Amino acid sequence: MNSVLSSIVTLNNDQKGLALIVDDELSNRVILKSLLKKNGYDVIQAENGAEALRLCIDTRPDIVFMDIRMPVMDGYEAVKRIREIDLPYFLPIIFLTAMTDEDALSKCIDVGGDDFLTKPFSHAILRSKIISMERIKALHHRTNSLSGQLMKDQEMAESVFSGAVLANNVAEDKIDRLLKPAELFSGDVFLTAYAPSQDMNVLLGDFTGHGLAAAIGALPTSEVFRAMTNKGFNPAQILAGINRKLFTLLPTGMFFATQFVSISRDLDYVTISNCGMPDILILDGMTGMIKERVSSNSLPLGITEDIDFQETLVRINIQPGDRFLLISDGVSEARNSLNEYFGQKRVEEAITRKGEMTAFDSIVHSLKSFCQDAPQDDDISLAEIPCTTDILPDWDSRTTDPKPNKNETSEEDPIEFTLKLTGKRLRDADPVPLVINQIQEIEGLSRHRRHLFTILTELYVNALDHGVLRLSSELKNSPEGFTKYFSARQQRLAVLSDGFVSISITSYSSKDQGKIRISVRDSGDGFDVSAYRNKVDVGCNRLFSGRGIKLVEELCESVIYQQSGNCVEAVYFWSKDVDAA
Amino acid sequence: MSVTVNESQDKTEVTINVRGRFDFSCHQDFMRAYKAYPKGDKRFVVDLKDTEYMDSSAMGMLLQIREYSAQNGVLLQNGNDSVKEILRIANFDKLFTIT
Repeated sequence: MNSVLSSIVTLNNDQKGLALIVDDELSNRVILKSLLKKNGYDVIQAENGAEALRLCIDTRPDIVFMDIRMPVMDGYEAVKRIREIDLPYFLPIIFLTAMTDEDALSKCIDVGGDDFLTKPFSHAILRSKIISMERIKALHHRTNSLSGQLMKDQEMAESVFSGAVLANNVAEDKIDRLLKPAELFSGDVFLTAYAPSQDMNVLLGDFTGHGLAAAIGALPTSEVFRAMTNKGFNPAQILAGINRKLFTLLPTGMFFATQFVSISRDLDYVTISNCGMPDILILDGMTGMIKERVSSNSLPLGITEDIDFQETLVRINIQPGDRFLLISDGVSEARNSLNEYFGQKRVEEAITRKGEMTAFDSIVHSLKSFCQDAPQDDDISLAEIPCTTDILPDWDSRTTDPKPNKNETSEEDPIEFTLKLTGKRLRDADPVPLVINQIQEIEGLSRHRRHLFTILTELYVNALDHGVLRLSSELKNSPEGFTKYFSARQQRLAVLSDGFVSISITSYSSKDQGKIRISVRDSGDGFDVSAYRNKVDVGCNRLFSGRGIKLVEELCESVIYQQSGNCVEAVYFWSKDVDAA
Repeated sequence: MSVTVNESQDKTEVTINVRGRFDFSCHQDFMRAYKAYPKGDKRFVVDLKDTEYMDSSAMGMLLQIREYSAQNGVLLQNGNDSVKEILRIANFDKLFTIT
């Protein structure tokens, strides 16, 4: 079958490319060839569809003129197969036919042809068709290169973006997480970070819509979340910070539904806020069943500045080993090919019937078999967080590195400042981050931030709770007491109108070491320091119920209560050589 | 999806009815419906009795009409259970009158 008559001739400078003529009649080919050459084309020829198909693969013509009725393989079949080749460019195919019935002509387009010409045709008509095809071709080319460019830009933006948003998350390998964007960009955001107190903050949020427009808010959100968590702000302050940022940034109509969980470093309680998201589920560590749920009790973020996050926060006691499920509405609103929704009921059934699987795996499995290949409308996010010690930071707070040489620490030229909070200010202000930031501004002790944070927090909370609010820490000795303690604390804070806590810092530093004297005084009655000392000495530390003040004593060089008990002074040494991180 | 508009006899109230899925595909129609009236001029009622489903972009549109209505406020009425559930989760009762 060596009957391919291919002749490649360059005629004039106005080169249009390579045209393929497919016709079993030599005379037709000759006429068309001469017309095409006049229009600047090189020409190759085929006698039937099968040869045409092979030439399309081998020589990649720029335009094809196809007869319909031919031996071996007809024009319809040939075009169908040429379209299956998946050429990386637009190849116009024009049918040439003597047939005039409508069915035959519309079949030309149905099988993948771009146009048809009824024989006989004039030079002028042929020229017009060629010009029209060239226009379409140019449009094609432009669209292709634009969408290629767009794709490339989006991919690059996405990688920078997920680098900025996700890369700084902590405990990534301890958390089961699914984030399935409906488009390249996700409007769902999952963030984790450690506070200096060693609490862990987790946020799952969902911006209105999906794709790039929805994702744009993720960047400022993650920045505020991380910066404020790192600086030791409390959950209400962090949520207020994100809300304020998004309120100024987002256009009306765009908002950010949020689930926020702060897990205490002792794994004994969590602080939760649910702003416009589906229920947060807490699973019992032993049975794996749902033991509590936290429903949304607030507007999503970014709508109004007028949200009191302190009110939206819920504190829940947990046991180590309990687990959390954070879920975006993309899960329950996922649809199958019958247009049915997955629904909250299926989510909870998957948890009940998980058997040996984790709740996460069971939900993912169930969702997958429900949706099959149905198109995804919205971003889908799901995370299961175990409340176990391995999600918490393994910072060693009791550093055993060589201590700075205390004798060489000069007491010359100290920097001193005092922050005093009074009355109502004590209700919702948190002076600790302010004081720490101030110390850092002056001394640049970023490596010591966590230690200072612990010391200041413990001393401040003791002064406020036991001094100003006169709460007895003995209350905290049982789980019920723990809850009672915090509700009493809330009540007393709410009506607080007098009293004060004052924090004074004196910082001495030489070249690479120094000491900080932290003195905290409150308006309370104080306590019997010598009795306290005796109890500590016999290992029966009831007044401070353990953890807090002991930790401070371990971190500091000295912790001294004045005899009246309402003023404490702690001295912390630092050295630039000692890495407290 | 279709959006229809009715103005009350006394010309103070405009009722917008959204039929079918209330999602981003309604955006143009919905916006055209309330922007036909001057900003802050009318009290708007969004009637959801024929709304099968509402997504978060619909809630975004509700926030936009709320801003447009200024002090006149927006009433959301007749939502089915799933629509009401979505409004409840978002705590939209703090921003809208819902009946």
